Amino acid sequence: MKKINIENKEAKFLTRIADTSLILGQRNAELCSNGPFLEEDIAISNISLDLFGRAEEIYNIISKIEGGTHEADDYVFFRNEREFFNIKLVEQPNEDFAWTMARQFMHDVYAEFLYTQLLESKNDEIKGLAQKALKEIEYSLLHSRDWLYRLGLGTEESNARLQEAFDHLFKFVEEIFAFDDLDKEYLPNCGELQSQWNKEVNRVLSEINIERKEYEALSMRDYRDGFHSEHIGHLLSIMQYLPRAYPEAKW
Amino acid sequence: MEPHGKIWKLLGEIPDPEIPAINLVELGVVRKIEGEESNLEITITPTYTGCPAKQLFNDLIKEKLEENGYKNFSITSTLYPAWTTDWLSEETKQKLMDEGISPPVAGDRVITCPHCGSTDTKMVSRFGTTPCQSFHTCNSCSEPFNYFKCH
Repeated sequence: MKKINIENKEAKFLTRIADTSLILGQRNAELCSNGPFLEEDIAISNISLDLFGRAEEIYNIISKIEGGTHEADDYVFFRNEREFFNIKLVEQPNEDFAWTMARQFMHDVYAEFLYTQLLESKNDEIKGLAQKALKEIEYSLLHSRDWLYRLGLGTEESNARLQEAFDHLFKFVEEIFAFDDLDKEYLPNCGELQSQWNKEVNRVLSEINIERKEYEALSMRDYRDGFHSEHIGHLLSIMQYLPRAYPEAKW
Repeated sequence: MEPHGKIWKLLGEIPDPEIPAINLVELGVVRKIEGEESNLEITITPTYTGCPAKQLFNDLIKEKLEENGYKNFSITSTLYPAWTTDWLSEETKQKLMDEGISPPVAGDRVITCPHCGSTDTKMVSRFGTTPCQSFHTCNSCSEPFNYFKCH
């Protein structure tokens, strides 16, 4: 098995963003042909395509920075759990449709403000990607936010299930904003990212009768060091099975 | 004649894999053609990041050039400046309309039915058959149609 090291600082930073997009794409892809109804199935699959496409473009940039030692597919299929650097939020399972949409909404708000800061990148390829991705993120946000209003203001049951989803997912928010030196080097304003996220999420929750409780911080270590919740291994085993079992397979 | 006019024309013969009514030049995928004929440098840009057809752009261009006797060329993909539907000409938009796909309109506001021309239409699904399209129906003629989203 080839060992994949990512050496360059910028490439390391970008891996966090690419992995977050990839893992959420894979989570959404689980619902392809399993969506609650046809249009929603198509919507989730399309959002998944956007996330995969975005991840691929970033892995291509990483590959270029790293001197072409590995290709996009190598980063996706031949790294192990501890070598992935996605935020834990996006690896949480599709326990319920409310989980899927709450997770998507929390991610989309984060992505919107994150990619807005990437518009100022000194790397033109990143800048171009951010311009393109922002249109897709805003579109996805329209969709996920819409669902929150429908579920939050729907029936007693839909509200309760959405509340349950948020109660679980909020435990994975704290680490997102525990920025390190690498984040601070490549994002012009980390503090603003956190305050913008809180403001928008709190605004929507207050309008849909969902409570943001005091959540006890989990004793899990940071995603930036390759730590995950228990779900990542299962996700990777499905995503990586084929190219690992048949390394020469072409499609 | 514009330098590389012949090559532009050649690449203009390659239909988009998802929407064959328009070609890769009209779509704005081919950004630059530089270098000598014996050593062409072609720069392309992806449309939607999640478009499965983007994987084919490279192969189709390569195939076309090889068919026409070009041996030495490079194809580089760049993300900047980011591709936008603003690059579609009025003529290209009309081609889409003729094909039954309502072309992009700034702000996705007034969407015209490609079948009867009515602007009394409604969105059925924000996501359609490809990442670049949403699904609509016309209130005047009751026909369904795809809309090429603004990007």
